[in-house]
Amino acid sequence: MEKISVQNVTFTYGSEGADVSAPAEPALENISLEIEKGSYTAILGANGSGKSTLAKLIDIIEVPDSGRIVVFGNDTSDDSLFWQIREKSACVFQNPDNQIVGTIVEEDVAFGPENLGIKLPELRERVDQAMKDVGIYELRLREASGLSGGQKQKLAIAGALAMRPEVLILDEATAMLDPRSRDEFLAIAEDMRLKKGLTLITITHDMSEAMRCGKIIILSKGTKAAEGTPAKIFAETDLEKYGLRRPVSFRFAYEIARLAGKTLTEEDLTGGARLREKLVKILSDPSLKGDPDLQENAAADETAPAKRKIMSVKDLFSSYDGGRSFAVKNVNLDVYEGEILGIVGESGCGKTTLISHMNSIIKPASGEIEIYPEEGVTLYCSRKKDVQRIRQTVGLVFQYPEYQLFEETVYKDICYGLRKMDLSAEEQKDRAVKAARSVGLDKDVLRRNPFELSGGQKRRAAIAGVLAMRPKILVLDEPASGLDPAGREEMFALIKSLRISGTTIVLVSHNMDEAAAYCDRICCIRDGEIKAAETPEDLFGNKEKVAQIGIDLPKITKFADSLKEDIRKILPGVDFGTPLFDPEEEARHVYMAVLKARLKDVK
Amino acid sequence: MLSDISLGRYYKADSLLHRTDPRIKTILYLVYLVVIFIVKTPATIGVLAGVIAVQLVMGKVRPSVIWKTVKPVLPLSLFILILNLITIRQGNTVFQWKFVTVTDYGISRAVLMAIRLVFLILSTSIMLTLTTTPLKISDALESLFSPLKIIKVPVHEMAMMMSIALRFIPTLIEETDKIMKAQVSRGADYDTGTFLNRLKGYITVLIPLFVSSFRRAEELAVAMDARCYRGGDGRTKLNPLRLNATDLLVGMFLFVCAAGLVVMDLTLR
Repeated sequence: MEKISVQNVTFTYGSEGADVSAPAEPALENISLEIEKGSYTAILGANGSGKSTLAKLIDIIEVPDSGRIVVFGNDTSDDSLFWQIREKSACVFQNPDNQIVGTIVEEDVAFGPENLGIKLPELRERVDQAMKDVGIYELRLREASGLSGGQKQKLAIAGALAMRPEVLILDEATAMLDPRSRDEFLAIAEDMRLKKGLTLITITHDMSEAMRCGKIIILSKGTKAAEGTPAKIFAETDLEKYGLRRPVSFRFAYEIARLAGKTLTEEDLTGGARLREKLVKILSDPSLKGDPDLQENAAADETAPAKRKIMSVKDLFSSYDGGRSFAVKNVNLDVYEGEILGIVGESGCGKTTLISHMNSIIKPASGEIEIYPEEGVTLYCSRKKDVQRIRQTVGLVFQYPEYQLFEETVYKDICYGLRKMDLSAEEQKDRAVKAARSVGLDKDVLRRNPFELSGGQKRRAAIAGVLAMRPKILVLDEPASGLDPAGREEMFALIKSLRISGTTIVLVSHNMDEAAAYCDRICCIRDGEIKAAETPEDLFGNKEKVAQIGIDLPKITKFADSLKEDIRKILPGVDFGTPLFDPEEEARHVYMAVLKARLKDVK
Repeated sequence: MLSDISLGRYYKADSLLHRTDPRIKTILYLVYLVVIFIVKTPATIGVLAGVIAVQLVMGKVRPSVIWKTVKPVLPLSLFILILNLITIRQGNTVFQWKFVTVTDYGISRAVLMAIRLVFLILSTSIMLTLTTTPLKISDALESLFSPLKIIKVPVHEMAMMMSIALRFIPTLIEETDKIMKAQVSRGADYDTGTFLNRLKGYITVLIPLFVSSFRRAEELAVAMDARCYRGGDGRTKLNPLRLNATDLLVGMFLFVCAAGLVVMDLTLR
């Protein structure tokens, strides 16, 4: 059978170059694996584990230092086959902007086949077909830079398909997309695999995406750590060790199994229905026992947020084109001191516009934002003399803040805002060191050049730069985007610790599971309007409202809801109460509810 | 903040000028460049303004877009105007205040220079950037300069570099905007303070902008590699350039206008 075969490959970046003085760590070390033709494979691993390097080797953008790579019978070390191999593979990368070459959509789709020397009329036919396959034919004469993120990624996949490849590699291609665009994008790729026999390789941090594949390969520090079907990997591998997590529904299931003292097998993980069946079986086992510390856990979760209003958005309208259309329409929203408020919605719904107003970076078309830094003080965003104080009260961290670092040391970068505040040198130093500590950066990192740090550290440094100004409210735009699962958890742990130290948090996210698990209240925005602003329990507990607003339920809720339904069939008296959104907590919650209901039955 | 600058941006429309062969437009652009710097007399400048207006109509460019194109160069234009006003000492003095002397020759010269600059921007925009996609411009240059390939000038590579540079203008403007907003939210102020301070402020914008440009360039190079880019040899074109009768007519018409302007200007002097 034809396949891609990687045999004992080692690869180090810069090994061909002149920089022999500092031999770098190999990005891949003695790695061997096989990917069958027409299969669907996910490559997982923490940031920096060598996933993207592997993709580049398969597409012969880099060649291995040692070992062999054979793509469908062609050895990549054979120079005469170079183009033949590269033409067989196509890639879609993470950042849509950095892979578009043409200005106009159809010109960009044509770039690949033009390079292959495809002549008209076949060239035209291929380009049109590719645009139709991914559903962007209507956009063919549009300017590429004016498309939305999701459309740009569809354009990238059309550009890849127009080359008629046999292998399609998605290198974190969905990382910057919202859930809906992500699903559409994956559906296109999967459809093309089935229709055209493409071999699909996806590199991802999203575990639910990995579940859709036939095979998962886990990389860790440049070597292959595990390989197998999703069920096998999620059942048998110690994912935490590789900076990964199980998908939320599996985390939920494993917690229930743990509480009941049962184990789940690979077989149980092969499908949602089968897994629910197994869980129902576990929960209906007569020997099921309660765990004494469970009660506490469930109760300790409720902490009522302080009620003092700290910010109030009033009848806000915002426009980028002088009032012809509104990015934000008639928004009224209160933020309370000490809470974590999540703002969710699809890309382009006005989330980022709304938070930019909170710190007075852009001016409203009409309406007002009032900020109450302390009792009896009101700052108005529209009032010029308040602006400086507002910017010190409301700290704003944009998406990918690490791209905005500029000083030669981390310390200087953190101090940037402080210098603008005209604080004394000692005060600056004290604040910078404390801010760095609060985001978990060591003191010696302060002296280093920010561009030498890892991605996660850079982001922390950038956040520290805002925290040093001691904002009462911290507004974060997609703080976890692009991080691996362990990095995401750390980021949210950081956010929680900031809240404990008294900072009010406003958090923009398009990940419903995280928003529901970490936020006290969720504000849904659609087409610039607020559709709801309430606790996750109230919002996601009300199915009609959810459907009416048109938002996605968190994945954990989807899974838990259908399980609850199954349980009700055998245990009609069960009362599950309000749902929780942390998979483990929800598992304990469901477990307790079942225990209670059965105790009642016995009586 | 910067998003309303349309200098160097393509303006999507279906017009006579949009459809015209980019090679013709490139040649016409060069011709008008010369014309703009030759003509001097007020009458010819008036007619030239008329011809540029005709071009704008042929390109179906909306007035708001024209305004956005011209707006960013107005300060520079004004600067040139004032500089010329106070530095030119020839001619009869019309106005004097302390050491500032303004002469009649200085006024006409200053106005001419300011108008030229505006015409230059308008003519570049209408002939090239507004009506022609960057890839078409680079196609045109590649085709026009292709004879130089014989003496080993890397014509294709240069054209490709240019079109990519143009393609990234909107992306980099967006990026600059983001960086500036992030710094403004940390207390930066680009609009007040001494000139030197303001300059310093912009340096803190330029550093992350450069760093991210290098990162983008690297990623783009990988993406182009992955799409089998291997230089100009053997490359085909989705929309190859073909001259047709309309192109020639447009070219002839605007060329005759240009020649007429020069003749008119020379006779009026």
